[in-house]
Amino acid sequence: MSEPEMSRHETAWRRGLRRVLGALMMGGLRARFVVVFVLVAVLGASAAAWASTQQAARSLAGFSQQQHGQNLVDQVSSAAPAVGYPPSEEDLEQLRDSAGDNALAVYEGASSSSGVFAGSQALGVTSAEMREAVGQAAGEGRAYTEQVVVDGAPWLVVGTPVMVTDPAGGRAASGVEVYAAQDLSGVEEELAGLTRSSVTTSALVLPVAVVLALLAAHTVLAPVRKLSTTARKLADGDLEARTEPRGVDELAALARTVDEMAESLQDSMVSMARMQEDAKRFAADVSHELRTPLTTLTAAVEILGDTLQLREETGQETADESDARESARLAITETRRLVQMVEDIMEIARFDSRTAPMHRENTDLASLMSSCIRVRGWSDDVEVLTQDAGQPYSVVADRRRLDVVVANLIGNGLKHGGAPVRVKLFSHADHMAVEVTDSGPGVPPEQLGKLFGRFYKADASRARSAGSGLGLAIALENAELHGGDITVENAPEGGARFTLWLPKQHEDPTCTGGAA
Amino acid sequence: MRIAATRTALPAALAAVMLISGCGIQQSGLEEGPEAPTGLAPGATLYFVDEGGELVAQQRDTGQLGSISDAVGLLLTGPGDSGLETDIDETTLTRVGTSVRADVVELRLPLSSSEVDGAGIDQIVCTAAATHIQAGGAEQDQVQLRFTDLVADPASCPVL
Repeated sequence: MSEPEMSRHETAWRRGLRRVLGALMMGGLRARFVVVFVLVAVLGASAAAWASTQQAARSLAGFSQQQHGQNLVDQVSSAAPAVGYPPSEEDLEQLRDSAGDNALAVYEGASSSSGVFAGSQALGVTSAEMREAVGQAAGEGRAYTEQVVVDGAPWLVVGTPVMVTDPAGGRAASGVEVYAAQDLSGVEEELAGLTRSSVTTSALVLPVAVVLALLAAHTVLAPVRKLSTTARKLADGDLEARTEPRGVDELAALARTVDEMAESLQDSMVSMARMQEDAKRFAADVSHELRTPLTTLTAAVEILGDTLQLREETGQETADESDARESARLAITETRRLVQMVEDIMEIARFDSRTAPMHRENTDLASLMSSCIRVRGWSDDVEVLTQDAGQPYSVVADRRRLDVVVANLIGNGLKHGGAPVRVKLFSHADHMAVEVTDSGPGVPPEQLGKLFGRFYKADASRARSAGSGLGLAIALENAELHGGDITVENAPEGGARFTLWLPKQHEDPTCTGGAA
Repeated sequence: MRIAATRTALPAALAAVMLISGCGIQQSGLEEGPEAPTGLAPGATLYFVDEGGELVAQQRDTGQLGSISDAVGLLLTGPGDSGLETDIDETTLTRVGTSVRADVVELRLPLSSSEVDGAGIDQIVCTAAATHIQAGGAEQDQVQLRFTDLVADPASCPVL
């Protein structure tokens, strides 16, 4: 896998990942809102319900516990003076009667019971601790209460010893114990009702919480989505895209900032494009304007030179005319150079404006190479080596442009390096390579990267002898126009080596390689 | 993320339901209630005087404590042959009315103040106070005697 292909693949993968993550985050934020709102609502409602029912249960149970305890004490207290002591069966019965419908009176093995105490569950009604606490009746003596469950129904049991008080106020246990039980089903019912209503309230709150969560999520997500769309449009090159936020919150401020950014980006892009356009047009205009007078000038100077040449041949020349002839020759050379430079600048301008025309046809590199060398009279100085003689090195290319490239590389080698220049052709799987190596001293390593710059001259002192300084730049543009490339290095055996890479199959005919 | 949220929401909801459902009346342990009742006694305590004029307590085994009126009524019937004396004139009327107010026990006696002398007033006050206390009344409560001719100030028993 080639490098650009890999990076393309990686970018697609990343974009996909980002989109999936984005979708997840969009859903995620909404889901998070809903979950948090529902959680808060449920927890809040539950906590409130729990606290209130707990409080109600405590106060209801505590109240009835206290009340029933005090009731028993009061009832027994008012009945006791009339009850004989030590108590007989009738006395116990009397005490028990005073304690209510579900009561038990005990004295030394004798007992009188009624209601729940008389049933088969009688033993389970009072706990062992209760009987022990009441039986011991230490000190002043106290009543005790406990809640028990008999046959699945909640009961409150109050047990108390009955005391004997001497006239001075000293109290002692009489040995008589009274127990009374109170049915708490009513209280239980009330609590169950409370719990039910709080659960119902919580359940009613849930949909409200969900709706609120969705609304809250929407207020956040809608601007974010809008912002994201705008950013995506901007990234895709639509500099007109704006968010136009409403409101004054942080998201609106963010959207406004993005809008401002897009605005200034658009402004600078527009002015930059205009400047670039101006510069290109200027270069093209200048070269065009220069060419016409230069052409006229060339013709005039050549006529002048020819005339002087004729005078010399006919022997009518004076010393002054000899000087004039030299001047005319110099003028011709320089004028031709000027014309060449203007041509080159115009070519560069065409590349820049991407209007350079291409005429593709099947081209054999080997024959192109030899005709290029022959036409320019370089046959003595240039040596062409092919990998496999007789084999056609065929590419689809613009013959004229390829000729320009090859001539430039060879001419460059002859001019700046030295003869002989060796040209080697290589045929690889999917591309051709033309290697041009000169016999000069090579290029200083720090200048290797700058060779293809426009108007680059390796040696300032040789400025006059050099060409326009655009040759290698044009060669590179031409190579790229073919989808190829030119690289430069110093050959191990000395001399600079330029390599032209050309793809055998041009991938996209509509794609012009002008964007160097 | 949605699954993770469900995972955290589920236990929370369960905990909430458990909180709510755990609110009913539970079987609870033993709790201390008010002070135990009193009022049982084999008989009432009456106060008479000995030869020296000192108050002496005497228990009448009536089988039960009885009311303040009962006790004072018994007191009015006299010491009998127990060897003690009383400073209250003998009377055939032993019916005594009792009303217990906030901190005063009021007795309506079938006697005039002239029929009671010496320690007689203390005898009545102490007998009423003793029964009041034995029935669970407060020790600092005072006794106010309402004779047929006058009403005495509330008083406390000197020996209790």
